[in-house]
Amino acid sequence: MTEATEFKAESPAREAWRMFRRNIPAVAGVIMLTGIVLATLWGTFFYGGNPYEIVWAPHEPPGVTPEFPLGTDYLGRDIFAGLVAGGGPTLAVGAAAAAITMVIGVSLGALAGFYGGWVDNLLMRITEFFQVLPTLLFAMVLVTLFSPTLFTIAMAIGVVSWPQTARLTRAEVMKIKELEYVTAARAIGARNRRIIWTVILPNAAPPLIVSATLTIGVAILFEAGLSFLGLGDPNTMSWGLMIGSNRAYILDAWWPVTFPGLAIFLTVFSVSLIGDGLNDAFNPKLRER
Amino acid sequence: MTPSYLLRRLFYGLLLMLGVVVLNFLLIRLAPGDPAVVIAGEMGGADEALLAAIRADYGLDKPVLTQLGIYIGNVLQGDLGQSFFFNQPVATLIGDRIGPTILLVLCAQVISILLGVFLGVIAARKPNGVLSGFVSVFATIGYAVPVFWTGIMLIILFASVFPIFPVEGMQSVRLRDAGFMIRALDVAHHLVLPAFTLALIYLAQYARLSRASMLEVLGSDYIRTARAKGASERSVLFKHALRNASLPILTVAGLQFGNLISGALLVETVFNWPGMGRLAFDSILRRDYPTIMGVLFFASAMVVVANLLTDLSYRLADPRLRGKS
Amino acid sequence: MSALLQIEDLRVTFNTRYGPVTALDSVSLSVNAGETLGVVGESGCGKSITALSVMGLIPSPPGKIAGGAIRLAGEDLTQASEARMRALRGAEMAMIFQEPMTSLNPVFTVGDQIAEAIMLHQKVSADQAFRDAVALLDRVGIPSPDRRARDYPHQLSGGMRQRVMIAMAVSCRPRVLIADEPTTALDVTVQAQIFDLLNEIQRDFGAAIILITHDMGAISEMADRVAVMYAGRVIEQGRADDVLDLPQHPYTRGLISCIPALGKGEDTLREIPGVVPPLHMLGAGCAFADRCAHRAPRCDSEKPLLQAHGHHPVACHAVAEGRI
Ligand SMILES: Nc1ncnc2c1ncn2[C@@H]1O[C@H](COP(=O)(O)OP(=O)(O)OP(=O)(O)O)[C@@H](O)[C@H]1O
Ligand code: SF4
Ligand SMILES: [Mg+2]
Repeated sequence: MTEATEFKAESPAREAWRMFRRNIPAVAGVIMLTGIVLATLWGTFFYGGNPYEIVWAPHEPPGVTPEFPLGTDYLGRDIFAGLVAGGGPTLAVGAAAAAITMVIGVSLGALAGFYGGWVDNLLMRITEFFQVLPTLLFAMVLVTLFSPTLFTIAMAIGVVSWPQTARLTRAEVMKIKELEYVTAARAIGARNRRIIWTVILPNAAPPLIVSATLTIGVAILFEAGLSFLGLGDPNTMSWGLMIGSNRAYILDAWWPVTFPGLAIFLTVFSVSLIGDGLNDAFNPKLRER
Repeated sequence: MTPSYLLRRLFYGLLLMLGVVVLNFLLIRLAPGDPAVVIAGEMGGADEALLAAIRADYGLDKPVLTQLGIYIGNVLQGDLGQSFFFNQPVATLIGDRIGPTILLVLCAQVISILLGVFLGVIAARKPNGVLSGFVSVFATIGYAVPVFWTGIMLIILFASVFPIFPVEGMQSVRLRDAGFMIRALDVAHHLVLPAFTLALIYLAQYARLSRASMLEVLGSDYIRTARAKGASERSVLFKHALRNASLPILTVAGLQFGNLISGALLVETVFNWPGMGRLAFDSILRRDYPTIMGVLFFASAMVVVANLLTDLSYRLADPRLRGKS
Repeated sequence: MSALLQIEDLRVTFNTRYGPVTALDSVSLSVNAGETLGVVGESGCGKSITALSVMGLIPSPPGKIAGGAIRLAGEDLTQASEARMRALRGAEMAMIFQEPMTSLNPVFTVGDQIAEAIMLHQKVSADQAFRDAVALLDRVGIPSPDRRARDYPHQLSGGMRQRVMIAMAVSCRPRVLIADEPTTALDVTVQAQIFDLLNEIQRDFGAAIILITHDMGAISEMADRVAVMYAGRVIEQGRADDVLDLPQHPYTRGLISCIPALGKGEDTLREIPGVVPPLHMLGAGCAFADRCAHRAPRCDSEKPLLQAHGHHPVACHAVAEGRI
């Protein structure tokens, strides 16, 4: 009994944090992601290596020359330099695209869920329409039409990925809208916009935070796919591009494609570990099952 | 399931396709530069005569709405435009390549659903067992691996270490003239790696989803009733529980179809699979916009059809929805 | 001579987050062919767990049978193999559940669900099983059974669904039929019809019925003998008339005095002040002590055992000592 009252006294955010801290995979995800981000920052600002420069013989295997621990690619460029330089754009585009996805998805979803009626109808038809377009293909078209820069790539990914977020937000808002505290807020005469911002969205936050985390992962994979196809920003190094440009030589050398792929995988993997951890932390009851 | 419901769904599907046509039109108009130049593409050898022909063909000197009307009219007649790179109608180009894409996507879908659901069901029997743990780890990994990289890794593995599957193309040149059965087997042989690569991500997700869904269903009262009748464990799992647990799986299968096509695009590129994705990729590099737009149209049509089929099968699987609209 | 179904000293434990708890402790019950045993008690006292133990359907883990025996015609079910239990379930013993709304599988027709029960235990064709299912639906009083057999559960009312459950349960003429609060979810007129149906079926098939209920009125109409349970134990047991007319245990007295007029008692059990202690808080003494007006020091230190007193056995120190 006393245990239950203690739980009550703790704020939901604190309780979630306490749960999250105890979740070993999630904490491992945080540590991994922090490491990756730090390595990227260090690579962008301090590591002298130029990822485009031909520094050695082509296809030097990893672990042979100490200066090039991960070997060189088909032109003789330093793969390690590519990895640390390519992380920045990959992560930045991933984060920006996820942010754009969330902004579009949450706004449209909240409007649809809150107002219902024809607003909901219209927005949901639009959402369905966007879900019919194969995401990567649509993004490819957008990127080529509007010439690939980091900004257009992030925009394109956002424009094609928001429907799921919109659906999730709509469902959450519809659920919360019926709860007592919203009725209470209405009763004291709060205006709709205020209710959406101060009551509904904060209460819908947990699933949206989880979804935002997972969206970052999807967006990173997306960016990787685009730059693998050669549709990334031609002026920046990225992990996907490294794989794409070395693709023709995979049977001669495995390492130029393997390391960037591992980097993408580890980044998305740690992001999704964090997402799963958040999900568990916000829904402690689900875990007991 | 009433015929009127079916008609309504069909009509709605057509409406969505009309939306795609309008979107294609808008995209060309919105792109920076002269639409005629955009349509001709960079590789089209855009001399003035060609541009004039395009302007006349698309009515580019007419008001925008008229242009849209012309465009829609053309599409309705099956004319998706002309690829100036191939110097062929887009519809023909895609017609030649849609088959391999459908084959790849359907195989991947079937593999991932069958295998994923099977794993999930088995895992659900022991929610804290080894297999359950494996399913969740595998699902998280599957979600995080870039599909094109999986393909490349498999190519490295199967080209140099275990050369038992072809890693490129859809047919062996030396078997071009063989009998139908031989050629079918040859295609199946070539299909193994691309289909498995594409299936892998979704397989993991279906496994996780069906495990969760089965766990929920296995706790329900009607499962206890089935056991109380004396039903065997297998019948409880695969007949009584799975039929109910398959409902959320069906929903996700429908929603995933668009992503599957996106994935197919990458997988086709990696394995040189002669499908629509490969065509889209090549056309984008060549800025062959009529072809790209045609692929977008057909790929969306595949999603619309898939959604329609999902919806219908959902209604077949859940009697509570039959007869309702 | 031993009874058709005999439960001896049954002990069932659950692993919970408070550690292992004992949901049933020294439960002994018996029922003969053609006889109805009523089992009453407040929510959570272990009635359903007792029934599920007989069927071998205790959710395990977390539950397990930790001791005792359940003998069906002499065969100890706690020792039977899973295959043997499957053969018995539905054939020799059947159960009707508390929740008619959710106990039928929503994606199969009710006819198919009954036919499945028949085919699991009898060598008949699918067509024949379906025809038998229709006949059973007719037997349990469902109008136009031909058509109804092709309906899905969501197309039927709660009362109809419970009739379907009964039809399914009796489809193989089980020797023991357990009805776990078969009418709780139904409205009053339907309740009476269901009880009539159970009576008829017992007459036709000669089954032993275990009727679990909160409803003392139903007990007085249906049961030959009655067992009163509290916190996982049987605390009073005897012929229904005796227990109802001359209840001895303070808890049973409470139950019965709560009924304004026997026969239309509903929610009667709420009226005894206090609540049943949760299983993980059970101490060394009588579980009813906190709510009992006759509590004595001994009641807190020593569990009262079921002992014959007057007409029938009862587990209470005060009764044993002649204080009440
Ligand atoms: N899966 C389980 N895990 C832990 N404890 C359980 C579980 N199932 C039942 N119990 C415990 O066993 C006890 C008896 O439950 P049971 O369902 O037999 O009660 P009941 O007498 O049928 O009540 P009701 O009248 O509400 O149906 C309950 O106190 C419950 O806490
Ligand atoms: S044993 Fe004691 S506490 Fe329990 S019922 Fe009898 S008198 Fe009351
Ligand atoms: Mg019960």
